[in-house]
Amino acid sequence: MLLPEPMSRIVIVGNKQRLDEAIDALYGLKLIHLIDHTTGTDEGFSIGTPRPYSEKAAQRLLSLKAMEKELDINDGTELDVKANAKEIRAKISSDSVEATTEEVFKVLDKKNSIVQKIAEENSKKEELSRISSIPVDLELYRGYNSLAVLVGTVAADPSAAVAGIADSEFFISDNKKVIVLFVKKSEKESALRALTEFEFAEFFVPEGTGSPAAGIAAADAKITEYKVALAEAEKEVSALREKHGNSILLMDEEISIEAEKGGLPLRIATSDYSFVIDAWVPTDKVSTITNEMNTRLGDNVYVELQEDRSRDLHEVEHAEDRFKETPTHMKNGAYVKNFKYPVQLVDTPKYQEINPTVVMSIFFPLFFGLMVGDVGYAIPFIVLGAYGLKTAKSKDFQAIATVLFYGGLWAFVFGFFLFGEMFGMHFVGEMIAGDAAITWQGLFHLDFPEWFVNIFPHTVDALGHDHYGVSKLLEVTMLLKLAVYIGVIHIMLGFIMGFINVKMQHGFKEAFMEKGSWIMIMTGLVTAAWAATEFMIYVKPIEGVVLYALITGVVLLLIGIVLAVKKEGGTAVLEVPSLFGNILSYTRITAIGAGKAGMALAFNYISISMIGLGLMEALGPGLGIIGLIVGILMFSFLHLVVWTLAILSAGLHALRLHYVEMMSRFYVGGGKEYEPLEIKRKNTKIVETEV
Amino acid sequence: MEADMGMLAIGAGLAVGLAGIGTGLGQKDAAAAAIGAITEDKSMFGKAMIFVVLPETIVIFGLVIAFMIIFV
Repeated sequence: MLLPEPMSRIVIVGNKQRLDEAIDALYGLKLIHLIDHTTGTDEGFSIGTPRPYSEKAAQRLLSLKAMEKELDINDGTELDVKANAKEIRAKISSDSVEATTEEVFKVLDKKNSIVQKIAEENSKKEELSRISSIPVDLELYRGYNSLAVLVGTVAADPSAAVAGIADSEFFISDNKKVIVLFVKKSEKESALRALTEFEFAEFFVPEGTGSPAAGIAAADAKITEYKVALAEAEKEVSALREKHGNSILLMDEEISIEAEKGGLPLRIATSDYSFVIDAWVPTDKVSTITNEMNTRLGDNVYVELQEDRSRDLHEVEHAEDRFKETPTHMKNGAYVKNFKYPVQLVDTPKYQEINPTVVMSIFFPLFFGLMVGDVGYAIPFIVLGAYGLKTAKSKDFQAIATVLFYGGLWAFVFGFFLFGEMFGMHFVGEMIAGDAAITWQGLFHLDFPEWFVNIFPHTVDALGHDHYGVSKLLEVTMLLKLAVYIGVIHIMLGFIMGFINVKMQHGFKEAFMEKGSWIMIMTGLVTAAWAATEFMIYVKPIEGVVLYALITGVVLLLIGIVLAVKKEGGTAVLEVPSLFGNILSYTRITAIGAGKAGMALAFNYISISMIGLGLMEALGPGLGIIGLIVGILMFSFLHLVVWTLAILSAGLHALRLHYVEMMSRFYVGGGKEYEPLEIKRKNTKIVETEV
Repeated sequence: MEADMGMLAIGAGLAVGLAGIGTGLGQKDAAAAAIGAITEDKSMFGKAMIFVVLPETIVIFGLVIAFMIIFV
């Protein structure tokens, strides 16, 4: 479980005549991680050509996609009803796609031609509106033998310039922007020359009869008429969407599958009569695959095991380029797989290294819970997380819900059994006069049974006051120590996993030099630091256990540093203080918990005093109830603030402790995920044994 | 040595505040670069986050020191 599944490389050779059956079988197995064939690797073999049916499938897919786009059908939709794949296939083979395409595009063409006509009428209207103030009927603009008609826009009024042209008639629009000039054909050139100065630009006058205004009215009438037709066509389109929408999506899914299967030969090697498939498969499934292929294709297929890939990287060096990388198949359990996401955010583990997901799944919620550590915040986390796990579709929200739910469970455990508090207030304990701390017992004058009180760790502080449940603020020293111990264990676990990784990849000697040295440094550092605190802080004499610990620590530290320097060079020395920093970095677990406790303490003090004043009517007649309401609102809002901060700080810091402090000790990543050939169906389903 | 509670509180405040400024200075560059990287390639998120949160340890140390000043 810690390591990715062991993988083997197999080669499947078969009769090309039965390639289609083989492809079906391969997809049916859901175990084959195909290794793409590259040209020139095997003599006599070349990359295959798509299956004959795939061209038709591609064409049909194109029509379906076009219809989806035109009819505005969302391709990602998941239908409520799962359809029978066999029926869909029967439908496709009876040319249902073509029939639907014809039906849909007939209506769509009609709709488009109406849209086109409306556009034409609109442009005609625009042209007419330019000459609407010129008192010339449309039929007079054309049909002359000896006359030229110049119609166009001008930048300024050219009346004076054209006045000299003999036998001409000149009109200008009301806004002085459009002119119409009738001249003899022989005068056309000189008229144009005269108009050039005024930036004359000719435009087309639509054909027709009567005044331009009448033309505009006619165009308007036509547009209204077309719009009615368009609305009708649109109704037809939406009726088509209703009628064919589902079946288009279903056929799309089915044909996509066909196209994918049909394209498979592009990834494998074929000769004239045979095909060769290289693939990675889980080692324990090789015999299943062999049996299944033989049952289906009999003598026409041969499956051979090429190698069981070990985790030794030297083996990789000698492999052919395309066989170098082994896909990582993480077989995480139902619980652990929830934590794949945060690991994946960094990288996919390599085949030759420990999959950090398991460790992440143990410590991530634990750290989160320890940082939150409050029953009052834990319950909403659990509820929200459970709801999210059940309903969230997106991977991101699933991951967040996972943290909230499992982290919430730990937060409840720690909040109840260790800290014994809810919303920053201990369950049990008398309230001490002059102290800001409030307890539930003191607040409601509760009388808890003996067994309930005995659940919580009991301490007596320097002033002789009893405390039930560890106080995050008063016991900060103990909690800081606890956090450091957790850090030591966590980082040590990282080094041990690093050791295992390197041992697997390069052998024991290498592992001892690379990671063993750091395990020694870490052990030495921790032991020596413990001894140092004993005599420096607790002022104990350097003798007995303390002395032995100090000597052992320093010796281990020195040996470790020498080994590390030998392996990594002088920079290893600089890494030692940063390792110390990494260990102390775990104090954040306590610091964040205490920070939130401090905030909760202050917020409780403010809001509960307010409620108290309200209850005592101390604010004045009638104001008591307002004080009460404001107090309760403040209590809710302020705790919501703390709770929201808890998601961000506890979640991110727990993640960071894994990414930075722990995973950097052993995790390299850069693997490729195991992606077996598999048909993913959303809207269709397979009936019985048919594939 | 008897210390004045007020002086202790000022010390604690300085510990958190100055450490916070340090962290902020450190994170601003890393975060800006990280956002750039993530915009180009979404799969960089995890790696980018590691670099962004690195300087955060400083402010945590400040916070721990503040707690130790006040409560220990």
